Amino acid sequence: MPTFVYMTRCDGCGECVDICPSDIMHIDPTYRRAYNIEPNFCWECYSCVKACPQHAIDVRGYADFAPLGHSVRVRREEEKGTISWRIKFRDGREKNFVSPIRTTPWGSIEDPKDFPGPTLEQFDSQELWQEPGALHIDALPTLAGKVKV
Amino acid sequence: MFTINPFAEISATVSPTVMQWYIIVMALFVAGGTLFDMIHKKSARFFFQDWGKKRAKATKPLGGGEVASLAIKTAVVDVLASGEFCKVPRRIAHLLTFYGFIAYLIATIMMVFSYPTPDMATPAYLPQLWYLGAAMVMVGGYWFWFFIRVDVLYEGNSPFRLIRADLFVVSLLLSVTFGFLWGLTQASGAAGLATFFLALYVLASTVLFAGVPWSKFSHMFYKPAAAFEKNVEEADGSTNMPPPADSSNLGAH
Amino acid sequence: MGLFNSRKTITVESDVLVIGGGFGGCGATYEAGHWGRDMKVVVVEKANIERSGAVAQGLYAINCYMGMQWGENQPEDHVRYARNDLMGLVREDLGYDIARHVDSTVHKFDEWGLPMMKDPETGRYQREGKWQIMIHGESYKPIIAEAARKSADEVYNRIMVTHLLTDKKNPNRVAGAVGFSVRNGNFYVFKAKAVVIAAGGASHIFRPRSVGEGMGRTWYAPWSSASAYGLPLPIGAKMTQMENRIVLARFKDGYGPVGAYFLHLKTYTKNAYGEQYEAKWYDEIKEMVGDYADKEPMPTCLRNHSMIQEIAAGRGPIYMETREAFQDPHKEQVGWENFLGMTIGQAVLWAAQNIDPKERMSELTTSEPYVMGSHATCSGAWTSGPDDYAPADYRWGYNRMMTVEGLFAAGDACGGTAHKFSSGSFTEGRIAGKAAIKYIKDLGEAPQFDNAEIEKLKTEVYQPMENYDVGRNEIVAGTVSPSYISPLQGLQRLEKIMDEYCGGTSTSYMTNEPMLERGLELLGMLKEDADHLGADSLHQLQRAWELNHRIWASESVTHHTRFRTETRWPGYYYRGDHPKLDDEDWHCFTLGRYNPDSKDWEMEKAPVHHIID
Repeated sequence: MPTFVYMTRCDGCGECVDICPSDIMHIDPTYRRAYNIEPNFCWECYSCVKACPQHAIDVRGYADFAPLGHSVRVRREEEKGTISWRIKFRDGREKNFVSPIRTTPWGSIEDPKDFPGPTLEQFDSQELWQEPGALHIDALPTLAGKVKV
Repeated sequence: MFTINPFAEISATVSPTVMQWYIIVMALFVAGGTLFDMIHKKSARFFFQDWGKKRAKATKPLGGGEVASLAIKTAVVDVLASGEFCKVPRRIAHLLTFYGFIAYLIATIMMVFSYPTPDMATPAYLPQLWYLGAAMVMVGGYWFWFFIRVDVLYEGNSPFRLIRADLFVVSLLLSVTFGFLWGLTQASGAAGLATFFLALYVLASTVLFAGVPWSKFSHMFYKPAAAFEKNVEEADGSTNMPPPADSSNLGAH
Repeated sequence: MGLFNSRKTITVESDVLVIGGGFGGCGATYEAGHWGRDMKVVVVEKANIERSGAVAQGLYAINCYMGMQWGENQPEDHVRYARNDLMGLVREDLGYDIARHVDSTVHKFDEWGLPMMKDPETGRYQREGKWQIMIHGESYKPIIAEAARKSADEVYNRIMVTHLLTDKKNPNRVAGAVGFSVRNGNFYVFKAKAVVIAAGGASHIFRPRSVGEGMGRTWYAPWSSASAYGLPLPIGAKMTQMENRIVLARFKDGYGPVGAYFLHLKTYTKNAYGEQYEAKWYDEIKEMVGDYADKEPMPTCLRNHSMIQEIAAGRGPIYMETREAFQDPHKEQVGWENFLGMTIGQAVLWAAQNIDPKERMSELTTSEPYVMGSHATCSGAWTSGPDDYAPADYRWGYNRMMTVEGLFAAGDACGGTAHKFSSGSFTEGRIAGKAAIKYIKDLGEAPQFDNAEIEKLKTEVYQPMENYDVGRNEIVAGTVSPSYISPLQGLQRLEKIMDEYCGGTSTSYMTNEPMLERGLELLGMLKEDADHLGADSLHQLQRAWELNHRIWASESVTHHTRFRTETRWPGYYYRGDHPKLDDEDWHCFTLGRYNPDSKDWEMEKAPVHHIID
């Protein structure tokens, strides 16, 4: 279901160009607005659709197999931690869904430098960072001594 | 320097009538060019068809008063305050070029029509407004050209790469730049250089106004209409977009 | 590009270079940042790590979680499960290693803000199945990308890595990588003491079922361009199980996922006449694979086989019976959100075709084949195992180090480690990240650079643009030139070769020795033509190098497929000339290596050690 950009909504800000994992959202040389240069490499991951501040990007299902007249639109609200979907069928039926996307504030993940550095013992062990604590069990399991090495 | 009316200075060699007619013809080019563009592309037909289809899907049809207040909101926020630009540097650059261009145009028209000859004492503020307007366009425009343009900033193209979308902003920048240089050289008495810049000024200005069918100039008329439609669509429920989430209502999981 | 752009060479010094900013790469970056505080950790990604990789649109389940804290599973159990599903052939040492660590990864994800669904009665993570837990994962990738960014010293987005560099004094040791900026064309030279390959596996090496716009709707991301294999193969790294391509039974065309449907919603398959058909193929399967047919749960490939055969017998379309389950509003919501947070295209398809699963069933199909290392499949690099228990012949150096010194693999790049999925790939990245730091600390001399080699690569990297610019002068216009082909033209030829000769959908996954021979012949000519790709933009240059990596992977896949003279995974592919499973001769791994000196492919077997009962 490749993406397309509404002429009346796009103001050429470049967010979609920046985010597209496939490098297919680019700037049209006549209007200086975004468009999908390679729909056959579009996975319809909706990254650009979600990133567009003007909601200028939409999706039309792949012509190979999707009849016209449908609409699946999304509103991702980072500050609220929500994503909202509105689905309209070709025959007019509608479904709506809202889901959470994150339970903590954006930017709140720790930097390793905020934590004590590794000890030599930890370094030499099989434990990964913050284990065994982060495993929520007492010790990292091992097969040491149980396998003919 | 900035208080001398450059148009009055050359009225002996270029008659005020010619200058006035030039302005009228350029205005006709803009109006005609925009109309031609709309007819040729059938964009007006699309706009009204789309308008009709959307209003027919409205879940909360709007009354005349609501529509009028949305029109005013569009005019004030989206047009006058360049509210459609979602990024601050772009918005500021656009405000500079938008108001700069308006100031420069008003000053040009007033000087050419009301004070076309040196014997009619041009009030000092008019040339000052003219230079100020041109300077605002240059600051906002060159900043945009080198640092903000999306095909440069996000796509990594050279700032010197030219595409058709650049026709408007290049001709605008060249027009005000050459006009600015012409005015200064004219006032300082460098006659040869002034004539050179005057010729380039006229050329760039003609491309700017006559190029409307091929450039993004006409978008300054389309965008407010599109912004208005967007505001109406969000208000009357004809949009396909889901509403903003009420995060207290996320559904049982 | 053109007159006004000058191409610069930018050299980046690093200690650990992580190639690929997906789940494996973000895991490696996150972990290396802690253990290598006094070192420089650099991650390079051809797109933008915020949404790059296979998890761009999100996931709605974590398919690898033990739940050791609640006694739900032990790592050994997961090894047995993966071994069963892969018909006996997995690296049990590597699999146990991921399984023993993965719970800490999942707990960190929870802490970082990934919304985890909870069982209302027990308060534990909501199980979808024995190994799977349910999440609201639309922002799964942005969340873990944040963790990687916090930990990395430098993040390079929009740089396509094209080649690895080797040590001038030791060609079997990695020294870094080269690539180019997809935005401004600058040439990048990354110098590193250790390199972690966490790039994408292979989509688009077999012709997909949809060939127009629909080409984009592959099951595995279209930007997984086999760089995981195309980077290490040319420098002589050994790969394993490259024949073990995966075919998936999914919703037709949209390739929407079925895991939650089967496990949580309890939907099931039917043929066109409403019959449940799987049981009728049991006898045939037993004939082919013996006791493996009795494994519980039934291996993925064997379930595919039933569907393929049922369709071939003329009783398709195959449907997923959803009507009963979707009457329950909770299940209906789960069913739709499963798509919206993971494979939005399936929701678009249902809306387009007026399919409401409450009222209508939806078709299933078996996909075109893919080659990768993190799912119900385990193709990838042959790597050294964990120090504390790996058998001697699985351990020649640091954990997850390939047969090339200093070169590590994680995620889809690492072979033998099936069923790790997202959490396991991130975990494997962490394992490789720590091991890479250990390797550097033990390192004597840093690798030396061959500047002549770098200069040669610089020319090679931009050759497709040169080919286009010069060759374009010969023709008036259009896409047909006698001297160059576009990356898309090359890709379509590659996909046709693999489809028709190496067991794609057009032969119902069937191949044999004569077909594979012919396939290799045609691949050889395509590989030569790859020197004549024409790229008219930096975007096309990226596509050209993606094709290049895919061609390398395809050669490897074809050599491995020819080498294994049995049908080990019916339902993934079949050897018409060796139609049965042969545990006597083939209960082993295949190892394949391209020899950069002789330019030959060298194939050998490696034993499967069952270290778990």
